[in-house]
Amino acid sequence: MSPLLQVEGVAMHFGGLVALDHLDLTVARGELVSIIGPNGSGKSTLFNVISGFYSATRGRVMLDGEDITRASAHRLRDKGIARTFQSSRLFLDLSVLDNIIIGMHTEKPPTVLGVLFRPANAGRELNDCARRAEALLGEGFGTLYEQRHRPAGTLAQADRRRLEIVRAIARGPKLLLLDEPSVGMAEAETQGFIDDIARLRVNFPDLAIALIEHDMRVVEAFPDNVICIDQGRVIVRGDFSAVRKHALVQEAYLGKAAHADA
Amino acid sequence: MEPDAPKRPGKGAAIILTLFFQITVALFIYALLKAENAVVVALLLASLGASFWTVSRNPAALDQLAATLRQHRAMALSLTLLILLAVPLLVGSDVYILHLLILAQLYAVLALALNFQLGSANIPNFATSASYGIGAYASALLATGLGIGFWLAVPAAVLIATLLCLAVGLLAMRARDTHLALVTIAFAVVVHQLLNTLAWTGGANGLSGIPVPTLFGHSFADPLRALGIRLPSQANFYYLSAALLAVMILAARRLQASRVGLAWNAIRADEIAARAQGIDVTRYKVTAYLADAAFAALAGAIYAAYISYISPENFTFLLSVTIMTMVIVGGMDNIAGVLIGAFLITVLPEKLRLFSDYRLFIFAAIVIAFLLIRPQGLFPKRLRAYGAAA
Repeated sequence: MSPLLQVEGVAMHFGGLVALDHLDLTVARGELVSIIGPNGSGKSTLFNVISGFYSATRGRVMLDGEDITRASAHRLRDKGIARTFQSSRLFLDLSVLDNIIIGMHTEKPPTVLGVLFRPANAGRELNDCARRAEALLGEGFGTLYEQRHRPAGTLAQADRRRLEIVRAIARGPKLLLLDEPSVGMAEAETQGFIDDIARLRVNFPDLAIALIEHDMRVVEAFPDNVICIDQGRVIVRGDFSAVRKHALVQEAYLGKAAHADA
Repeated sequence: MEPDAPKRPGKGAAIILTLFFQITVALFIYALLKAENAVVVALLLASLGASFWTVSRNPAALDQLAATLRQHRAMALSLTLLILLAVPLLVGSDVYILHLLILAQLYAVLALALNFQLGSANIPNFATSASYGIGAYASALLATGLGIGFWLAVPAAVLIATLLCLAVGLLAMRARDTHLALVTIAFAVVVHQLLNTLAWTGGANGLSGIPVPTLFGHSFADPLRALGIRLPSQANFYYLSAALLAVMILAARRLQASRVGLAWNAIRADEIAARAQGIDVTRYKVTAYLADAAFAALAGAIYAAYISYISPENFTFLLSVTIMTMVIVGGMDNIAGVLIGAFLITVLPEKLRLFSDYRLFIFAAIVIAFLLIRPQGLFPKRLRAYGAAA
């Protein structure tokens, strides 16, 4: 059986700038991979390539053995790749519930004619989505359930991050890409986020998660499977204690001189 | 129920409140339509402004009024229907009022149709005049050139306009923001120029002698007789445009409350995030455009049959800006707000003729003022409520 996600020799060039340079990565079903690396190493670019926002210059991306290198972002969401963004991108003027219901868009995408001529059916679908969104919020995620009728723009920063994750998993994806989800969180909020992810792992055992993270407390909480990217390549993969001691990682983060001193 | 939900008035009081509210609104509209000079219009506008100011300072009262109206929805709707049906009788020989109301209803259809794009999905479409004009010209040409009857020419015209707009939309809706606005402006200008130059559309002279529709042997040019009452011939088109507006409101409500409306709102809020949720952004922008174009063409076809003579001057860029002003002033993505905006922006310029030469300028100034000071419009959009919040 092929791995869930297979990134093979992917390069991403923007004009003369090489953001990704022959990158290989595999993610198995149900696996959690933490991705670390210095700023500008290509982590977010990798997510944009996998989720279809960028089209790789070279190489290919396979999902479940299917070549998705050229597939567009909305098609990939339908195929099971969901993501969050480094600076959260909620629909701020819509309620928490509406944000989650939009996350279910790809199950039976609605049509204008369907809504106009089969209104009862369309209403049933919407109410069904609303009910399931409430049920999903009932599984945890702090106080989002209590705030479900409020506009997303009125949520606190940590709750916005949370809501973005709930919206992403609303339609049961196979692969969840989280781009620095804990950025800007206070310590207690980071712990809450770690708990959220741990519960996701229990409730959705088949869900693979790739997590770009700068906060080492989060990486330590999921230490089994860490990769470090530098200059558009994977330089090392392993458990956190091994990765952090690896010479190339130290060099990537601290520079050559610091490594020589260490 | 929310803890701070407004206290509901008793049943008797609620019925009186509902009736009082509706009759006040009807009287206000009647007074505005009847107003002969600018001073009266100014006074009426001042009273409207004062009530608006009072209400906006006291949102709980507005919620209570809305809740009361919802509670007695059947009664409120039947009274509205009764008033609307009685209008041709009430205005008597003053057929100019009927003419204004027909225009207001057709413009309200255009504004609600544009609201699918501008209000729901934030698509700045400046080509309402194009779809409206294509609908009008297509039905007129089918009727005058091929002798096809009104009731068949109208759906055919809608189909033609929708297909043309599909071709334009598939290209235009890949663009965003300013670029998209420019493409639609170009489309509006091209259509206007074509209507002006093509021989078979009558060039600048336009098309005249568009046949009057007949229904069950009754010609729309004849007075309407029913129950021993004789109504002016304009009443025919008044009722026809009212029926179209009713269908439009129903369609707008259904779409707004649906997952299609949610997908449009997602595009409005953040196109990139919308794509990440699996929304085919181009497709949903095109469908918003087609929903707009179909209803605009329908209104155009009825307009052509109503005034029986159309020329390119009826379908200029000014019309597109006027309709856009109605949506922005009334309140983007708020159906009641757009209706009020459409009524005011249709009637007020007719009443205040003093600035007729500067309309484009005035509308542009109004739009800019609103976008700077009150971008949500007079009546802001509301959050959707699911079961629990209602």
